Amino acid sequence: MAALPGRFNDGRTAATRSVQVTARPAGLEIRGPDGLLVAFWRTGDLRADGELPGGKGVRLRCAADPDARLSLEQAEFIRPLLPKPPRFPWGKLAASVAGVLVLLAALWQGIPAGARWLVALVPPGLEQRWGDTLAGSLESQFGVCRQPAGEAALHLLADRLAANLPPEARPRRLVVVKMADVNAIALPGSTVMVFAGLLADAQSPDEVAGVLAHEFTHLRLRHPTAAMIRATGVGLAVTLVTGETSGVLASGAAMALAGAYSREDEAAADAGGVALMNAAGLDAHGLSAFLRRLAAHPSRVPAWLSTHPDSAARADAVDRLARPDGHPVLAPEQWTALKGICG
Amino acid sequence: MYDDTRAATAPFSHVGGTGAVIRLSLVNLLLNIVTLSLWRFWGKTRVRRLLWSGTVAWGDPAEYTGKGGELFIGFLLALFLVFLPLVIAMAALQAQVQSGQMWAGPGIFIVQVLFVVLAGAGLYRARRYQLSRTLWRGIRGGQQGSALRYGALMLWVGVASLFTLGWAWPWGEMKLARYRMDNTTFGDSRFSCEAKAKPLYRRFALLWLSGIVFFAGIVAAGVAISQRLNKPEDSVGVIALAYVALILWGLLTVAVPYAWYRAGFYRQLADHTRYCGAAFTLEATAGSLIRLAFGNAVVAFLSLGVLRPWTALRTFRYVCQHLRVVGEPDWERVGQSTDKAPGVGEGLAAVFDGAGEF
Repeated sequence: MAALPGRFNDGRTAATRSVQVTARPAGLEIRGPDGLLVAFWRTGDLRADGELPGGKGVRLRCAADPDARLSLEQAEFIRPLLPKPPRFPWGKLAASVAGVLVLLAALWQGIPAGARWLVALVPPGLEQRWGDTLAGSLESQFGVCRQPAGEAALHLLADRLAANLPPEARPRRLVVVKMADVNAIALPGSTVMVFAGLLADAQSPDEVAGVLAHEFTHLRLRHPTAAMIRATGVGLAVTLVTGETSGVLASGAAMALAGAYSREDEAAADAGGVALMNAAGLDAHGLSAFLRRLAAHPSRVPAWLSTHPDSAARADAVDRLARPDGHPVLAPEQWTALKGICG
Repeated sequence: MYDDTRAATAPFSHVGGTGAVIRLSLVNLLLNIVTLSLWRFWGKTRVRRLLWSGTVAWGDPAEYTGKGGELFIGFLLALFLVFLPLVIAMAALQAQVQSGQMWAGPGIFIVQVLFVVLAGAGLYRARRYQLSRTLWRGIRGGQQGSALRYGALMLWVGVASLFTLGWAWPWGEMKLARYRMDNTTFGDSRFSCEAKAKPLYRRFALLWLSGIVFFAGIVAAGVAISQRLNKPEDSVGVIALAYVALILWGLLTVAVPYAWYRAGFYRQLADHTRYCGAAFTLEATAGSLIRLAFGNAVVAFLSLGVLRPWTALRTFRYVCQHLRVVGEPDWERVGQSTDKAPGVGEGLAAVFDGAGEF
């Protein structure tokens, strides 16, 4: 066979030299223009090093001399000698995808379970400082409603409900903030915050009592702290996998998953709330009436709905648990005072 | 020393096709989706292999020999050994401040400073990794110098620029670029760079003044709009119009002077860089840089970042087209690099600033 012209780099200097390459049974014989032997690459050591750009042939490497390169323009004689380039690792990719799915499923189940376990380890003092900081900033941001007669009516309701709670599970702080959303939130460390919009929307004292009983149960079960731990866990998992460390993706995923994770908490808070109402001799149908109105006007209450889905189904569940013999809680003038707590 | 009467040659060219880069970008997008973005290390490696192998110098193509696994392990190491401990320290210090422990305040400041220094060090280490995986004619590139020193330098440049209302920036930017170039090696030989910032200050003064004009225009427009904005239902249209006007106003006042400054910067950098007796020039002009940057922005924006490899290809082509060399190094005297190449790559940069995304 005739010698093929090629370009050779020995891997020791950056110079390129022209060579003549002859294929022998044992390998490639590489000779300089003067005919002197430059290198001999055994067939077993030959490695394909890709096509040259612009279809100008192939480049070869040699396992015994890894820095050296040989470029050949007339590649058709050489290609049959080369080991096949590795195929795309479909098997590895499929295994990785399966691994990712298993990891996702494990995280999906593991994060709420881990949060339940971790909540028990959070010292109540830390939880309170945490919640107080949060409550303080929300209160100063929106302003607190403090009409004395209204506050008295609110605490009358709250004390009726809390009487049946163990002392350590009673709320430490209950305020109405000047927010137009129809919502109420429980914060870590036993704070309940009722939004002015909820009081404006409520049709009866039983509805307000139902919402309070629901939030008190969240506190007794330490759901706010568990939710914060879950959000941290989701954010951490997202950051670890994607490497996106600005927190945009992490907080987005935490918010997106918060609703899905909170369903169980909401059901538990509804059931516990009805039990509190029943024990206090109040009419728990107030809670279901409130939920039904939310379901009928979803567009008015996006904030509540985002963390409290399936209002109609929850109302039915509440009705099944509610005792029929509730009594009114507040006298009409107390109810008027509560509605006017923001002045 | 340098025979600058010799004619400048254009030994670089890029032969990579746009279609191949777009195809690879789309394949990477699909694989990133099914792996929750974990494919990105291997995807990035494939893009680099394509970009590097299309880059031809003196008739021979470059090679990229990095591996996706190296990037993956580098990312994990930086995440667990550097980033998470710092984040935990930060959270602990913030909790202390919230509960009234004032000694933690300076601690937070120190951690923030560390973040900036590590971001700079990460960029430098990423460059070292990429150069060590860049081969041409079988000879490796490399980078010497200290990553932490580079990070500290970046912090210093940032602070100085802040306190001088930006006037330290050309000096600082050039100092950083010089540190990078001066420490760049190919084989056993080093680049040397003596670029200075002083000749850039005329261009920078124009850029600075146009920045002032830009802000003055925004403030004046803001005042005018807030006076006219009586009916709230009009506000959406007005805001949309204001954004369009803002972009046009920015292009008009800042983009052209900025491109002029950047062209001067790159020219200065290239003109004062030497390698083994060869001198460089970059025929960068404000107009061509605007075309490059505008095209890249449109491609990246319309594809939501998916086609960023295409923007990298456009940049590679630009450099190959505009870079000239006076005198060819004596390649016989350029030996193989003896520096130890890093085993894993880019973790710090990937974690701290997402650099090297193509």
